[in-house]
Amino acid sequence: MFQSRVEAMALVLPAALFAGVVFLLPVVVLLAQGVHIDGQWTLSAYADFFSKPLNRTVFFRTLRLAALVTVIAAIVGYAAAYATVSLPEKSKGRMIGLIVLPLMISPVARTYAWIVLLGRTGIINKALVAVGLSDEPIRFLFTETAVTIGLLQLFLPLMIIALISALENMPRDAVPAARVLGANWFQVFWKVILPLTREGLIIGGTLVFTGSMTAYITPAILGGSKVLMLETLLYQRVTVANDLVSASVIAFILMAMAFSANFLLKKIASARGGK
Amino acid sequence: MKSKFFVFLPLALTLIFLIGPFIVIVMAGLSSGNNLAFPPPGLSLKWVIKVFSIESFRDSFAVSMFLAIFGTLAALILGIPASYAMSRYKVPGAETVRLIVSSPIIVPGIIVGLALLRYFVVPLSLSITLALFVAHTALILPYAVRVVSASLNNLRSDIEEAAILLGASRAGAFFRVVLPNIRGGVLSAFILGFVTSFNQVPVSLFLSGPGVRTLPIDMIGYMETTYDPSVAALAALLAFLSIGIVFVAERFLGFTRYV
Amino acid sequence: MSEHTLLSLNDLSLSYGKNTVVDRLNLEIARGELIALLGPSGCGKTTTMRAIAGLMTPSGGKIVLDGRDITRVPPNRREVGLMFQSYALFPHLSVFENVAFGLKLKGVRGATLSDRVNEGLRAVGLGGYADRRPADLSGGQQQRVALARSLVMDPKVLLLDEPLSNLDARLRLEMRTELQRVQRANDLTMVFVTHDQSEALSLADRIVVMQDGAIEQLGTPEDIYNRPESAFVADFVGFENIFTLEGGKLTGKGEAFALPEPLPEGAKGMAWRPRFVRLGDGAFRGTVIGAAFVGQMREYVLETPIGQIKADVDAGEPAHSLGKELAFDLRVEDAVVLKR
Repeated sequence: MFQSRVEAMALVLPAALFAGVVFLLPVVVLLAQGVHIDGQWTLSAYADFFSKPLNRTVFFRTLRLAALVTVIAAIVGYAAAYATVSLPEKSKGRMIGLIVLPLMISPVARTYAWIVLLGRTGIINKALVAVGLSDEPIRFLFTETAVTIGLLQLFLPLMIIALISALENMPRDAVPAARVLGANWFQVFWKVILPLTREGLIIGGTLVFTGSMTAYITPAILGGSKVLMLETLLYQRVTVANDLVSASVIAFILMAMAFSANFLLKKIASARGGK
Repeated sequence: MKSKFFVFLPLALTLIFLIGPFIVIVMAGLSSGNNLAFPPPGLSLKWVIKVFSIESFRDSFAVSMFLAIFGTLAALILGIPASYAMSRYKVPGAETVRLIVSSPIIVPGIIVGLALLRYFVVPLSLSITLALFVAHTALILPYAVRVVSASLNNLRSDIEEAAILLGASRAGAFFRVVLPNIRGGVLSAFILGFVTSFNQVPVSLFLSGPGVRTLPIDMIGYMETTYDPSVAALAALLAFLSIGIVFVAERFLGFTRYV
Repeated sequence: MSEHTLLSLNDLSLSYGKNTVVDRLNLEIARGELIALLGPSGCGKTTTMRAIAGLMTPSGGKIVLDGRDITRVPPNRREVGLMFQSYALFPHLSVFENVAFGLKLKGVRGATLSDRVNEGLRAVGLGGYADRRPADLSGGQQQRVALARSLVMDPKVLLLDEPLSNLDARLRLEMRTELQRVQRANDLTMVFVTHDQSEALSLADRIVVMQDGAIEQLGTPEDIYNRPESAFVADFVGFENIFTLEGGKLTGKGEAFALPEPLPEGAKGMAWRPRFVRLGDGAFRGTVIGAAFVGQMREYVLETPIGQIKADVDAGEPAHSLGKELAFDLRVEDAVVLKR
């Protein structure tokens, strides 16, 4: 550890100033637009925002879909992570590579695939009609279902990776020990695996939840104007009506959610003496 | 064996769900038909070839490449000294600095783009290209700091002291001893920054104007008006590019160690 | 200051922020001397060493090396070598390049460079290892590279941070011999830091025992081992039975007691090594609660009214079993008188 404060500041300052001036300051000004209207400090913009039924619908839809995606990701994630961890070392590495791979592919490309799959003449509708589960093609695109599927595909890898590392850090003999003591698989999961991987679940959950809530591409492409979420609503308010006040309110809501999820994560991780 | 089946079936389904869309995109892009379809009626390279003839894609590809390369370089030039200071010095208010530098990752991209446009770019009447450059640099900075910090923290600081006692200056010790040993981390940060910037949409959304737009934004615009497989072909090409870069990086650097 | 003095620390104070670690330390080290700074962790020995190297700026006092005040001289211009506890080899450079690092910065080039590096490597017995990477060497070999890297620079003082602590018992003996040989061969002045009294006793010409940022005692290994001046030093060099003197009575961890013989003038305490406790007869009684055969000796622990007493007896003597009550004696002639 070196001592000179001047040197330290000289090294840190450019990055801090850049992020502060270019990024933090404009964001603060934007947020101020929502509480400082016509020279007055007021929360009226927030009251206005929530008084409109459309906005309320979008707000609750965003929360609901983000929560739904998180829950499904957790369930699927545990199953996939558990299977991955029980693979032999070499295939485990490859499997993790396959799971991470989609994260490197453009979200636009990944979302676009669902247009092909879920369209009226897409393979899923063709299959449904062919097996006789449906008489005519079902409309998937521009529904909450499509957005949920798209978001899940986008963020599931984050949950699986978080759970894999949590499962790997679990004491090796915990599960066999519980089995020997007479626990069935449900009890093993509930009483042993879940408590021991709680931290990983929280990390993965936070990433998936905030990711889903603040995603733009997926609701824009798969939801369109029929299934608006907060980000697409913000975009619409600004481009259609130049409504910066609503934009500021939405920005605050999104950031408040992101920060509280982040805060919660740090709090819990440090409370457990995390590394 | 039955229990093994039930352990690995969900994993197989998950993989199909995660990787499947990628295969769909590739097949759709190689279609010989004129409409977006999976499975395609036949295979051909005609849409892949068409992608290269679409001028707006060529332009926006150049913009995206420029942003990804130079935005990442700028973020590293800002981020490496900051990471170094935070790992080797007692920086006054280190936690605050860390928070400021990593804030672009916490704030949703669309807000970054909007705020930057309204309260930085417009008042200073900056060009769109410069605005995008600044925004992408800010966006990549947290990744650069995180990855470089991690590799600095894995490097013992006494080798710098040893270099100094052998006659090196502080800067000399950094360039002769520290930098060569965190090369893997710096390259990984570059690749992560590059891929992040290249795939980025929300930050660029408000900042893209007519004439100057990034490739993903251009693709979204194109697919809203045209329902042919060229976007799928382009998406497949980009996916292979990303996978190729990451594969090479993993091979030579053990990239995933750093990310 | 004597004319033989090479390095002197005058009223040296060191602190981290408001936390003073070393308080007005004075020490003179002669040319060609091998000095050990000995003490428990946190006593300020490592901080003192880092200050000599220039890796830490003193909050007060002076460091004079070879007649030149180096207190404000940056570490890269001090001509002080330091062998780190972790060796701090450059992982990206070969053994040759590691040793050549400092010489290159000095402007040494070409044949002179390779001659000096190879000579340095041969001097530590690593002649054939020039092209290896540090990671391919054993811990002992890495340490030799670190030693060679410092030696080729011809430092006025070589500092060593816990030089033997990372080695196993066999290598430790080997390295100890090596360090002594190198020191004699080059008439080198060495200062090494250790928390291990046996390391200090076996290697040093003089030992500086430190506690709480101050010198507790300074002397030859014989002085320190046989004539500790304080309870702290006595404890550090293995006097297990230590008593402080208050109002004519000795107090350890039990009742205070007086000895029949008169105590020396100016004594502040008395200490007995386990082997100077006489078992069998005497004015004291205790019960055997621990007994161990360790080769030449039998080590006993007695529970007594004046506290636990440790006693070592020649293994040839008849053994005592646990629970047995024994008489023992503590005599002034067998004790060390603590003056502080």
